[in-house]
Amino acid sequence: MSNAYLTYAAKRLGQAVVVILLAYVFTFVVVSILPGDPITSVLRNPQNGFSEQEIAEIIAAQGLDKPVPVQLWNALSGFLTGDLGMSMRSNRPVSTLIAEVLPSTLILAGAGLAVALVLAMLVAYGTRFVPKKYGQGLLRGFPSLFLSVPNFVIGLVLIHLFGFQLGLFRVINPDSFWATLFAAVALGIPVSAQIAEVLIANLDKEAEQEYATVARSRGIGQLKLFIRHLLKPASLPVVTVIALTIGELLGGSLITETVFGRTGVGSLVQRSVSTQDLPVLQAIVSLGAVVFVLVNLIADLLYPLLDPRVKILGGAKRRPTTTDEPSLGSAKAVNP
Amino acid sequence: MASQDRLNTHLSAVKTSTLEAPRPAPLLRAKNLSVSYGANQVVRDVSFELGRGKSLALIGESGSGKSTIARAVLRLLPDAGHATGHVDFDGQDVLSLPERQFRPLRGRAIGFVPQDPGNSLNPVRTIGVQAMEAAALTDEPNAAVRKALILDTFAQVGLDNPLRVYDSYPHQLSGGMLQRVLIGLAVLPRPALLVADEPTSALDVTIQKRILDLLTRLQHDLDISLLLITHDLAIASERADQLVVLKDGAVQEAGKTSAVFSAPSSAYARKLHADVPALNPERYAGLRNPGFRLLDGAASTPAKIEVKSVTKTFTVDGKALTAVDDVSFAVPAGTTHALVGESGSGKTTTIRLLLGLDEPDIGNISVAGEDLSGRSHKQLRSVWRHLQLVYQNPFTSLDPTWTVERLVREPLDRFKVGTPAERTAQVREALANVGLGDHLLSRKPAALSGGQRQRVAIARSLVLKPDVIVLDEPTSALDVSVQADIVEVLLSLQAKLGLTYVFVSHDLALVRQLAHTVSVMQRGRIVEHGRVTDIFDNPQNAYTATLLESIPSGLSNPSQQAPQRQAVRAERREAFA
Repeated sequence: MSNAYLTYAAKRLGQAVVVILLAYVFTFVVVSILPGDPITSVLRNPQNGFSEQEIAEIIAAQGLDKPVPVQLWNALSGFLTGDLGMSMRSNRPVSTLIAEVLPSTLILAGAGLAVALVLAMLVAYGTRFVPKKYGQGLLRGFPSLFLSVPNFVIGLVLIHLFGFQLGLFRVINPDSFWATLFAAVALGIPVSAQIAEVLIANLDKEAEQEYATVARSRGIGQLKLFIRHLLKPASLPVVTVIALTIGELLGGSLITETVFGRTGVGSLVQRSVSTQDLPVLQAIVSLGAVVFVLVNLIADLLYPLLDPRVKILGGAKRRPTTTDEPSLGSAKAVNP
Repeated sequence: MASQDRLNTHLSAVKTSTLEAPRPAPLLRAKNLSVSYGANQVVRDVSFELGRGKSLALIGESGSGKSTIARAVLRLLPDAGHATGHVDFDGQDVLSLPERQFRPLRGRAIGFVPQDPGNSLNPVRTIGVQAMEAAALTDEPNAAVRKALILDTFAQVGLDNPLRVYDSYPHQLSGGMLQRVLIGLAVLPRPALLVADEPTSALDVTIQKRILDLLTRLQHDLDISLLLITHDLAIASERADQLVVLKDGAVQEAGKTSAVFSAPSSAYARKLHADVPALNPERYAGLRNPGFRLLDGAASTPAKIEVKSVTKTFTVDGKALTAVDDVSFAVPAGTTHALVGESGSGKTTTIRLLLGLDEPDIGNISVAGEDLSGRSHKQLRSVWRHLQLVYQNPFTSLDPTWTVERLVREPLDRFKVGTPAERTAQVREALANVGLGDHLLSRKPAALSGGQRQRVAIARSLVLKPDVIVLDEPTSALDVSVQADIVEVLLSLQAKLGLTYVFVSHDLALVRQLAHTVSVMQRGRIVEHGRVTDIFDNPQNAYTATLLESIPSGLSNPSQQAPQRQAVRAERREAFA
C-alpha cells in the first residue's frame, strides 16, 4: 500500500462525498422548484381529512414554512447525521420505513448479481470450449438475445413455468427460497448479458494476444490457458461493467419486486410516488446515489490493486530503457 | 569472375561430399509443407532439413510465409490455418499427431522464442508465475528446486538480478530483458529444437547483437538446433549454417549460408542482398553526392536548421529526467542530418522541440533563419509550412476513412494555398514526385501497400513545398525492399527539390546510406557528430563504436568485408578530391 495509492484513495473518496452531496442538493432543488405545491395539495386533500390546525402543525414540524435555503440546510444537515425526516403519509421516520424494506431489496439485488456473474462466466467459458458444431454460436448470441428481453417478461415467464406449471414456488409466498431465487434469475439475466458481452469480447481479444500463443508453446493446455492466463486480464474491465450495472440491478429490482409481489424498496417507491410522499422519495433517490457512488468508488479503488499495469499518479510512467540492460560479460566472452 | 568460378567448384565439392558421407537423420525435416487459410495458400511446397545442433534460417519479407512455417512446426497455427505435407520432428510426423500426443513435445522438445517480447508475456501475471510453467516441463517435483532452476537460467541468459526479475511484472522490464526472459523460458526445459521467430526485430541494434550472441552461445552450449526466422539477410548469414529464402510462400533458394549469401543464384535472393543497407553502403552514392558538395560549400551560407545548446527536462515520478542535454547541431540547406541512438536517447524529444511541439528549457532553435522560441501556436503555423514531418508508421499515421486525394490535399486546404483547381494540380504533382499515379487518388489507405502508404505520407508532407522534412524512422515499419524504394524516393526528391532532411533512426546502416552528417545521441547528449563517412570509418567515441559493431554485416568473417570497404573508401576519396 504505497503512499501514492493512499493519496489516490483519499482523493477519490473526497470526490465521492462531493458527488453524493450534489446529488442530494440537486434532488432537493428539483423537488422544491417543481410547479404546484405537492405538499399542501396532499395535506389539503379532503380524503386525508386534516384540519387547518393539523396542517399548520405538520408544516411547522416539517419546517416547510421556512425559506428554501433554510429548508435545504436543515435537510442536508439531517441527511449527514442520518436523520432523513418524517414521512408525510404515515408520520413515521423515513429511516424506519426504508430499514423495513431495504434488506429484502438488498438480498434480491445481491442474489441477482451473483446469478448474473455465474451465468456470464458459464456463457463466456462455453464460448471458448463448446465446439462450433455444438452450439458455440448460440452461446455467443446469448448477450444480444437477453439484452433485448425486458426483465419483467423474463420474470413472468419464470413465474408461469416454475411457479404455476412445475410448482417449485408459490406466488403468494414471495420470500421463500425458490421464489427469491427465481426473482434473482429474472433480475440477473439481463445484467449477466451485459457482463457476458464484455467478457466474451475480452476473452477473444486476449486469446489472440501473442502471449497466449507463447504460453501454449510452453505446452499449456486450453483449460490452463483459460484459467491461468486469459481469465484475469479479460475480467478486469468487467469490474467497471459490474459497477455500472448496479444502477440496473437497483432499478430492475423495483420492477422485479412488483412482478413477484415482493415487499421492498420498489413497493415503497410506488406508494410514495402515488401519495407524493416527498421526504421518502428524497431519501430513496439520495440512497440510490450513495449506493451507485460507493460501488463505483470501490471499483476505482480496486482496479489499481488488480491490474499491475495501472499506474496511479497521473505522471508518465518511466519505461525501462536500454541503459537498464546488463552489460553481459559472460555472453560476449563465450561467443567466438 | 574468377572468384565466382572458384566458389562454384567449391560448392559442387560440398554437394558431392555431403552426398557421399552417411548422413545422420535430421532433427527436423519439412517435406512439401503447404499451409492455407481457406482458399488463400500462404506456404507452398516448402521442404528443408535441419540437423542436430545445426542452425537454419528462413528468410523472407512480410507475407513470405516464414512465420507461418514456424507456427506450423509448433502446431500453433490459428484455427483457420490448414497445413498439409510432412513435418518430421525426431522421427514423428508433427502434422498428423493428435493434439494430446503433440502437446508434451511443445516446450519440452521444441522451444519457441517469439518476435515481440513486449507482448509475449501475460501482462497481469508475474514473470515467476509464467516461468514456473516452463519449469514444470522439467518434471522436477520439488518447487524450491524448480525455482532455483529458473533463477539459474535467468543468470545464464545474462539477467543481472534474477530474483528481482522473478518477482517483476512484464511491464517493469525493458524489451531486451524480456527477450532474455523468454529465451530463458524456452531453453529451460532443454529442448532439442528452438524456433526463434524474428527474435530481435523489436529491439535496439546493440541489444539485438547481444540477444543474437546469446542465442548462438546457448545453441552451442546446450547443443540445440536453431530454426531462425528473420527478414534480415545479414543477420541470417551471420547466425545460420543454412539459409532458405522464401517469397510468397515458396522457396526461392536454399543451401549453405556461404553459398547463398556470397553467390545468390535466384534473382530474388540477389535483390534481397542488394536491398540490405549494411551490405551496400554506397548504393545511393550518385544521388547523395550533390549534398556532400553543398556541405563542403556550407561554411559561407547560413544553415537551414540551427539547434543551439538545447536542454529539455521532464519530471517523471517526482524525479527530474533530462531528456535532451545541451544538444547543438546545424544542418546546411540541401543536406541530410541524421540523429541516431537507441530508445531513450532523446531523439524523439529533440525532433519534438524542432517541430515546436515542446519548448526547450534552455537554448534556441531556428529554422530557415526564424527563431522558434516564444512563438504562439498561430505563429508556429507559418514555420510549419516550411517544416514537415513524415511519421514512422504509415499503417497508423493516415486516416483510414480518407481518400489519397483528401489526405494529400488537406495541408493545402488548411493553409488556403491557391485556388481549388490549383490545389488539385498540386496534389497530382506531389503524387507524381513520389512516383504514384493519378489512378490512386480515390483509393483509401487500406487499398494501398505499406510502401504506397509511406509515399502518400511523403507526398502529403511535400505538397506545401517545404524546405525541411523531418523523417522519423520513415522506413522502420517497412520491408527491406520497400525500404530501399522509399530511400530512393527520398534521395531523388532531395536532389530534385533541394530539400533539407532531419533523419531520425536507430538503423545505422541506413544512416550510412543516405545521410551526409550525423549526430550520435546517448542519454540525451550528443556524444559524437560529424560527416557520416568520417564517423562510420573512424569513430572516436566508444559508444559510437559499439553501435557500429552491432550492425549485422553478414558472414561474421571480417576479411570478406574489408577489401570492399577499402575500395569504397578509395573511391570516395577520388570523388571528393
